[in-house]
Amino acid sequence: MKFKRGLVMALAMAAFLAVGSLAMAADVIKIAVPSPFTGSAAGYGDNVKAGVSMKVDEINAKGGVNGVKVEAVYFDEQCDPKEAATVGTKIAGDKDLVAIVGHLCSGAHLAALPNYVRIGVAALSPTATNVTISDKGKDSKGLYWSFRNVYLDDFQGVFLADYMSKVLGLKKVAVFYENNDYGIGLKDAFLKQAKAIGLTVVGEEAYMKGATDFTPQLTKLKGAAPDALFISGYYSEAALISDQAKKLGMNVPKFGADGMDNADYIKLGGPAADNTYLTTPFLAETAGPDAKAFIDAYKAKFKRDVDWMSANAYDAAGMILEAVSKVGADRAKIREYLASINTKEKAYKGITGLTYFNEKGDCVKPAYVKMVKNGQFVPAEKQMTN
Amino acid sequence: MFEQQLFNGLTLGLIYALIAVGYTMVYGVIELINFAHGEVYMFGAFLCVTFINSLGVPLFPAMVLAMALCALMGVSIDHIAYKPLRKAPRLAALITAIGVSIFLQNIAMIIWGSRPAPFPRAAVPQYFSEQAFTLGSVSVSGLQLFIYVLTTAMMIGLTLIINKTKVGTAMRALAQNATAAALMGINVNRVIAFTFALGSSLGAAAGILVAMYYNTMSATMGYNAGVKAFAAAVLGGIGSVPGAMLGGVVLGVAETLGAGYVSSQYRDGLGYAVMIAVILLRPSGLLGKSVGQKA
Repeated sequence: MKFKRGLVMALAMAAFLAVGSLAMAADVIKIAVPSPFTGSAAGYGDNVKAGVSMKVDEINAKGGVNGVKVEAVYFDEQCDPKEAATVGTKIAGDKDLVAIVGHLCSGAHLAALPNYVRIGVAALSPTATNVTISDKGKDSKGLYWSFRNVYLDDFQGVFLADYMSKVLGLKKVAVFYENNDYGIGLKDAFLKQAKAIGLTVVGEEAYMKGATDFTPQLTKLKGAAPDALFISGYYSEAALISDQAKKLGMNVPKFGADGMDNADYIKLGGPAADNTYLTTPFLAETAGPDAKAFIDAYKAKFKRDVDWMSANAYDAAGMILEAVSKVGADRAKIREYLASINTKEKAYKGITGLTYFNEKGDCVKPAYVKMVKNGQFVPAEKQMTN
Repeated sequence: MFEQQLFNGLTLGLIYALIAVGYTMVYGVIELINFAHGEVYMFGAFLCVTFINSLGVPLFPAMVLAMALCALMGVSIDHIAYKPLRKAPRLAALITAIGVSIFLQNIAMIIWGSRPAPFPRAAVPQYFSEQAFTLGSVSVSGLQLFIYVLTTAMMIGLTLIINKTKVGTAMRALAQNATAAALMGINVNRVIAFTFALGSSLGAAAGILVAMYYNTMSATMGYNAGVKAFAAAVLGGIGSVPGAMLGGVVLGVAETLGAGYVSSQYRDGLGYAVMIAVILLRPSGLLGKSVGQKA
């Protein structure tokens, strides 16, 4: 008898809690933002947070989505696949979270994705560029739950090889890559295209996140006299590579992709950062009037220059909240709505330009090239039409 | 090229050695693997830069100030976290050490942020970035030369303190048998505090040198350095100060040559492989004394 009474009590409690959370759900629309907020990639997570918070504040200032306030819930996964899997389980299990802006790192996104696919909640990553994500977002019914408003590494890698060879006329390149999903994916795409267009790769060196000493590899590469360094990784290690290369007397142009696109690259690399070329999905100088307003507001609020991650995160949050305003706070319907943005005509018009998805949730976006000149990011003189 | 790699490895190794002596001294005296040592190293770098950036202190005084503060920090860590556990099982102190390490890392992130920060270039003298001299095919920068001179001087100083001074004698006595040392009238807690102060200030110096050498520092830099220094201490024979010095240099050179000639993917792995090989062949480390089982 005692056991039964306890059970009834527990059920009553559960019912009470469920009703309570339902009532809560109507008060506020919650979106999950899983990214690294501590650890070595925290600087990026900070950028994503800045972008998302600007969009959320902007919408709340206008009264919210259909009169309901919006709240971004931040989850720290440290860019670590193990943590991301745990965080992903938590997010997928919390029905109050209607959709996800994230993850930031490709490896983390890949690790968390199975949860989202199984439970059915859409994740829109502003930054994960790894190629294999496309096929991992499909559930048993053939629906894709992963979206991204950023281009893919195969596109970036090919673009960079073409730019080096066809636009700048360089012949020999040495490659550094970070030993993770992002670094390897980008490097592989680059190598394939380099081979196809006759760009010689004189050396390939891997490193782990957080590595600080690259002099052994650079000393070795110096003997091969490359005319360019391609760094397939993130800005903090890239700044060290550039700096140490300069100290060893290798004054060659450096190339990198979105992972190196951060003002801190210049701060850490100092004079060695000069003459670095980067692909970026967002170039403030070529952006439209909406983007200009965003750039100014961003600078006023965060006291630093806007970066592409913040811009993409701002748009990603915008797309999800637009979906909520059209179809309501329903996980399946939000996914359906995002999947329906599949042509240029139906595209979401954000500050990073038009965003629309193919059937796998990937988007087609142009890349721009910017470079570091006298300690400043400036658009590269020669852009490549793509 | 080989000579250049060797030289680069030596620079790295001397810095590892400087952190490793702090580990090994604490282990020698209270048999505790002080996992928070890497964080003291990180604090050293950040404090030094804070003095330079916020208070306008020149580089060398800022370095000394940071080392002094870190010495105080080491003593405080011991006093707050380890001293109450002196009589507790060793595992309790070990877990506390890990806790202190995580705590300090997060404190640093709250104070200085989670982004990697640059070392102020303007504060570093011009001659540091210039080439000091070339020896055959080896070129040595002013900063590298400074690192060699400073680390070597510190090692010599440390050896003198341990072997020639009263407190050094007390440290050695404590390392041999704490109970007997206490019976002989040695103030055990004071000697332990001194050990922490000495080790922490050397760790801080290493942190500053690394931040200067690589132009960068981050709140998480202590973890990796801590693991490396721990490996160096074990390699040389934990508890042995000359062993930690040798272990650091061997580890640094092995890593650099490994990255240069085998594959950079295995650079960390190779360093540890050397450590494991030494432990398999000489379980007490390169210069450690084998401790016989008590009958």
